[in-house]
Amino acid sequence: MAQIPNLDNSPLNLKSLRELSQRELINILKNIRGKKCLVIDPKLSGSLSLIIQTSVLREHGAELRHLSADPIQTDCTKVVYLVRSRFNLMRYICSHVHNDISKGLEREYHIYFVPRREVVCEKVLEEEKVHHLMTIGEYPFYMVPLDEDVLSFELDFANKDCQVDGDTSSLWYIAKAIHKLESSFGVIPHVRAKGKASVRVADILSHMQTEEPVNSSDMGGPEINTLILLDREVDMVTPMCSQLTYEGLLDEFLHIHNGSVELDASIMGAQQQEGKKMKVPLNSSDKLFKETRDLNFEVVVQVLRQKATSMKQDYTEMTTTNQTVSELKDFVKKLNSLPEMTRHINLAQHLSMFTSKQSFLARLDMEHTIVEAQSYDICFEYIEELIHKQEPLVSVLRFLILLSVTNSGLPKKHFDYLRRELLHSYGFEHMATLNNLEKAGLLKKQETKSNWLTVKRALQLVIEDTDTANPNDISYVFSGYAPLSIRLVQHAVRSGWRPMEEILKLLPGPHSETKRVGFSSSPSFDTLHRSSEAADRLVADGRRSLVLVVFIGGVTFAEISALRFLSAQEGMAYDMIIGTTNIVNGNTLAEAYVEHLV
Amino acid sequence: LLWKESWELGKNPMASKGSPLHGPRIKLIEKAQNLFSETKEHTFESKAAEEHAKLLRIQHELEVSTKQAIFVDSSISDTIRTCIVLGNHRAAMKVKTEFKVSEKRWYWLKVFALATIRDWDALEKF
Repeated sequence: MAQIPNLDNSPLNLKSLRELSQRELINILKNIRGKKCLVIDPKLSGSLSLIIQTSVLREHGAELRHLSADPIQTDCTKVVYLVRSRFNLMRYICSHVHNDISKGLEREYHIYFVPRREVVCEKVLEEEKVHHLMTIGEYPFYMVPLDEDVLSFELDFANKDCQVDGDTSSLWYIAKAIHKLESSFGVIPHVRAKGKASVRVADILSHMQTEEPVNSSDMGGPEINTLILLDREVDMVTPMCSQLTYEGLLDEFLHIHNGSVELDASIMGAQQQEGKKMKVPLNSSDKLFKETRDLNFEVVVQVLRQKATSMKQDYTEMTTTNQTVSELKDFVKKLNSLPEMTRHINLAQHLSMFTSKQSFLARLDMEHTIVEAQSYDICFEYIEELIHKQEPLVSVLRFLILLSVTNSGLPKKHFDYLRRELLHSYGFEHMATLNNLEKAGLLKKQETKSNWLTVKRALQLVIEDTDTANPNDISYVFSGYAPLSIRLVQHAVRSGWRPMEEILKLLPGPHSETKRVGFSSSPSFDTLHRSSEAADRLVADGRRSLVLVVFIGGVTFAEISALRFLSAQEGMAYDMIIGTTNIVNGNTLAEAYVEHLV
Repeated sequence: LLWKESWELGKNPMASKGSPLHGPRIKLIEKAQNLFSETKEHTFESKAAEEHAKLLRIQHELEVSTKQAIFVDSSISDTIRTCIVLGNHRAAMKVKTEFKVSEKRWYWLKVFALATIRDWDALEKF
């Protein structure tokens, strides 16, 4: 099955977006005649694999290589680099060129920056005296559809960049991506933002609109009605909790990269030699996965069991009674889903190996205790024990962040004590890690009383007796905890920020709410006003209007599931599209703060 | 600014990791410690730097006495574990008292270390 997701059912025409990216890339290749060696930034190749097949690139005369420090081995005289604007990548390229020169090879070099060129990078090329040898271009690749309702801007570490290193260039890229969306689907009339970075992005976005207005006259009304921008910073609690949906757990334990997991072939029941890895694509082209990905894992197991038994039943019926041809045909059709069944039964079995562990259950228990914020001492002792046992640093950090955020910091005595124990157990080099976390406000000294209890109560974040099999609330994704971020979205969609300003003020960062109109087409204000009002309600032709929810700093699969659940609810007049800088989970987030000094 | 400066210093020694000359490294860390101690807010950092320097010295001594280069750059807990695994309980005890390691942590470390070398008798006694 293809790794490139099927986008036919998307509420927005994402397919055209992907085709545009494909065309642009192919044009780049076409413009360089003859055979060429395409050297791809390894970080980009994952994203590119979601829009184009390597065979297509080869058809256009490209030999594919990954960019690394080693000189490239190729007979081609034309070399095309496809890279992000990063210093170290520039160094690689320079060393390649110098290497060629020293060997007396004459080659034609092209660099395409993704998504745009940056002066500082070209400066590096100038300093190394190779700038004049290069043809420089841009490949404006700002986002990639991960699935029919998920867009990724593919910006790693956007969260850490902003909070610790003060680098805000990623915000520009986010705004640019949204602006690009607007140029295909019309100006989004309502913008709601919460969090420092979100408000900035909203500002940049409106600047872009004034500078290069989207021409909306030839489009029939905006397709996206509302844009909700949320900083990850606003809700650091949710990603620190273990996700309990099928897709979420797959990511926690097996790490989903670019819509697929890689694992030992033996797990998937293949009869191959030991240690061979295989890729399993995970997206909604797989019908069974589409059905189960957002469910609580407990339920997934039941669903799979049910399917297997019903199939067995069909089979016994088939062997005992005489069938008409059409019945036979139905049966064969059902058999077609067999490979999907086997795949997911294998995956689920592998997962349950992790989830049935005592330590995992203890972790879940503790996460809930922290979120409920009733018994601080138990949590503190648990973390202390984790450190003493030298459990993996990242999982300790997840708990520390969780505890610190829900208590708006730790009491000074505990703060110093835990930090000291941590340095003793994991080494003094993690002083830098602690410093990063402190700068980001994720681990700090308690100064004010925590308002988590108020937030929790007002937004009903903890729900007792959640029925995971027949959920009636988003809290099912964490078996009893409703993700804060999604609760905010729920309220924002329903009534806007205004009724909940008091709560918003308790959460980090400012918030803003703006109404925008397309500038270029200027019929009287009145008609514009009316058209945006019409978009508020259900559009007359029966199409549901769209909400684009953008997470700056990443989103977890469990949150995506919760949003899907929301838009599938009765009485919900909106479809949701999710935009995110990248897909994250507690581990990847915490990992980003760990300083690696080698 | 002072914070930042001393921070860079704190980072530096890590960059020169693996160099057999630990003299300059320890000096750097001590310098960082002094910088930290000049401001009130950074007593924790200053303490940590002081302990780090002390740890490196002890590790260095251990490496000389055991003739194995396995101590430097491991954490305090790791150092204690290594000592117990090597059967050098006196050294482990010394590190423990030197850094005021709490009894709780000490027990975990000892249990883990003894289990690693399958010294069930010692584990039983203790």
